[in-house]
Amino acid sequence: MSRQPKLLIGLAFILGMPSMPARAQSTDQKIEDLEQKVEQLDQEVKVAERNKELQDADAASQAQNAASVTADTGGFTIKSNDGDFLLKIGADLQVDNRAYVGDGAAAGADTILLRRVRPTFSGSVYKFVDFFFRPDFGLGSTVIYDAYLELKYVSAAKVRVGKFKPPVGLERLQSDDDTSFVERGLPTLLVPSRDIGYQISGDAVPQLVNYAVGVFNGVPDNGLGDVAVSSHRDYTARLFLTPFSSAAKNPLSGLGFGSGISGGGVDGIALPAYKTFGQTTFFTFASGVTSAGHRTRLTPQGYYYLGPFGLLSEYTLTEEGFKKGLVQKDIAFRAWQVAATWILTGEKKSFASPTPRKSFDPHNHGWGAVELAARVGDFSAEKGIYNYGFASSNTSPRHAHEVVGGVNWYLNRLVRISVDYGNTNFGGGAVLGNRLSERVLIARFQINFI
Amino acid sequence: MKLTALLMVAVGSASLAAGSVKLLNVSYDPTRELYQNINAAFVKQWKAKTGVDLVISQSHGGSGSQARSVIDGLQADVVTLALAYDIDAIAEKAGLLPKNWQSRLPDNSSPYTSTIVFLVRKGNPKRIKDWNDLVRPGISVITPNPKTSGGARWNYLAAWGYALRQSNNDETKARDFVARLYKNVPVLDSGARGATTTFVQRGIGDVLIAWENEAFLAINELGKDKLELIAPSVSILAEPPVAVVDKIAARHGTAAVAKAYLEFLYSPEGQEIAARNYYRPRSKEVAAKYDKQFPHLTLFTVDEVFGGWQKAQKKHFDEGGTFDQIYQPGR
Repeated sequence: MSRQPKLLIGLAFILGMPSMPARAQSTDQKIEDLEQKVEQLDQEVKVAERNKELQDADAASQAQNAASVTADTGGFTIKSNDGDFLLKIGADLQVDNRAYVGDGAAAGADTILLRRVRPTFSGSVYKFVDFFFRPDFGLGSTVIYDAYLELKYVSAAKVRVGKFKPPVGLERLQSDDDTSFVERGLPTLLVPSRDIGYQISGDAVPQLVNYAVGVFNGVPDNGLGDVAVSSHRDYTARLFLTPFSSAAKNPLSGLGFGSGISGGGVDGIALPAYKTFGQTTFFTFASGVTSAGHRTRLTPQGYYYLGPFGLLSEYTLTEEGFKKGLVQKDIAFRAWQVAATWILTGEKKSFASPTPRKSFDPHNHGWGAVELAARVGDFSAEKGIYNYGFASSNTSPRHAHEVVGGVNWYLNRLVRISVDYGNTNFGGGAVLGNRLSERVLIARFQINFI
Repeated sequence: MKLTALLMVAVGSASLAAGSVKLLNVSYDPTRELYQNINAAFVKQWKAKTGVDLVISQSHGGSGSQARSVIDGLQADVVTLALAYDIDAIAEKAGLLPKNWQSRLPDNSSPYTSTIVFLVRKGNPKRIKDWNDLVRPGISVITPNPKTSGGARWNYLAAWGYALRQSNNDETKARDFVARLYKNVPVLDSGARGATTTFVQRGIGDVLIAWENEAFLAINELGKDKLELIAPSVSILAEPPVAVVDKIAARHGTAAVAKAYLEFLYSPEGQEIAARNYYRPRSKEVAAKYDKQFPHLTLFTVDEVFGGWQKAQKKHFDEGGTFDQIYQPGR
């Protein structure tokens, strides 16, 4: 080979030599870069997974501690995870249509009205303290009906403080949405509706003996009040026995009976005005009459339930002092009722409303529950009420006798449609003879969840 | 009087006959192993001394969270938390123990101390030597959330204290330093043990700022071939305190045993157990015995640099404090 080609070959070789290590270095660098990238991505994935893990743990911890919110036939309920705090929001809405018929129709005007519009707030704090608050916006007015708290540290001796139903009348103690008739019977006219005071109650013997004792401000018959009008107090007590309630198969397991009693001074307490089934006032006291002295009530009462059949009866005897001018006398009032019901669709009757086996849903052949109800009742004031000038025989009959029949259609646990027909005859209360009878047809649409 | 005495004997006998006495120790996150050993030793000692069977239950979590749990009703007979501020909170907000609780036991109620160190991967691939390495771009730092973890607050203050030293006490520079450090934190666990899990088990991060005892335990568990401990040039002297929760112990009838339990921590046996679990013992004798176990580093206290925990908590960790200002998650 000549020298020039050798030189050229040598030169080419020398020039070619550096490019081989440079390519290798570039590949190594790329691999290193890729490894770093993979490591970085691996870390990012791990970080994301770990953060998700921590978030899930945090969410699980919060969910464990979170309060629960439910909505069902018992209303809307908010409950803390540990059960220490509970709030229930419910409502009771009753829309009535009253139609008066017959000669006595003039006493009352046909009307559609909101009979009760009562939102309810109830619940418990720290498991052992219950509270209950219920105002009423019906009939165009705002009244606080119930506002109390109850300490249940000892179940046999619960302490209730506030405004609530004093433990006297049986039908009064029944919830407004559970009564078999749209309006309560005549004995309830003579017992307090709501009063402010203290009560201790409980099962002295579980499922056998229930008791309640209380002291209250004192209110007119069938009335409610927010302040005491004197330093006198109304003392109440009630004992109710259900001797066979624990024996489910015993035909007497649905029997309950007992009595309430109350007594106290009445000086300054407003006089009551007694109303008919149709809610028209049939008895008022004469001008110048005041409550004076003492009032005592005795209310033997009972019920019996067997399958779809129910029977409720009570008798109220009250003796109250009145004064007009220099005349002060005690006057006795008496009232009784016997109410019977039968659920045609076979559901079990009890002190509370029945739950239909099948809610009303015509698409699925569900018709709800249908109940027939009938009652008779009587109210009388002793004759002395006229003799002493406490009432006028021309305007206030001292005797009323009612017969009521009705049908209740429970569409479901919450909704009920009722139609009642009531006939009330009077003894006295008119210039010539007796006050005209009241005949009234009342239809009610009701929804209640609490 | 006779009747009362008879009743007391009857009740006492009934309670003894009823079985063991129970104690709940609410502690911070990384003390599980320590109190496992402490409890076993104390239960044995108490049985030998009194004949009473003792059952000690433990609850562990971020120190701040644990304090809140006790305030909210967790029935702790004793608390052994990461920092005095958390026990102060129980005293102030719930009134469960007196405000002078810290003076009731020696050494401000801290039977052992610890400090903050770094845990890195074996071989220290990212060459982490000191605090300033933690703010380098690309370094991933694992430390828990100071809002919930006592250890995290010690970590934060240790970093801040370092930065103050480096900058001649320039607060602005210290704030900037700590802000840069938290920019390198991808995951904020609620407690120190969770942070250790993130670093060791999940393999996340280049460095874990850790309780010294946590660092040693992690190395023991995972192996010296996987992790190594780096002692920074300067760190904070952590003094985790202990206290009887008076009102709860009184209600449970455990005041005496709770006091004895905490006093046991100061006993030679308790100090040995602490040292074996990599907590720096207060006892000079035990400390001398375990001197080689612990790295020697310059330590400062919360009182020296920050004027105490009340001031440090208010400035840095309360709502709207410095940590809230500098840490923006998902930045």
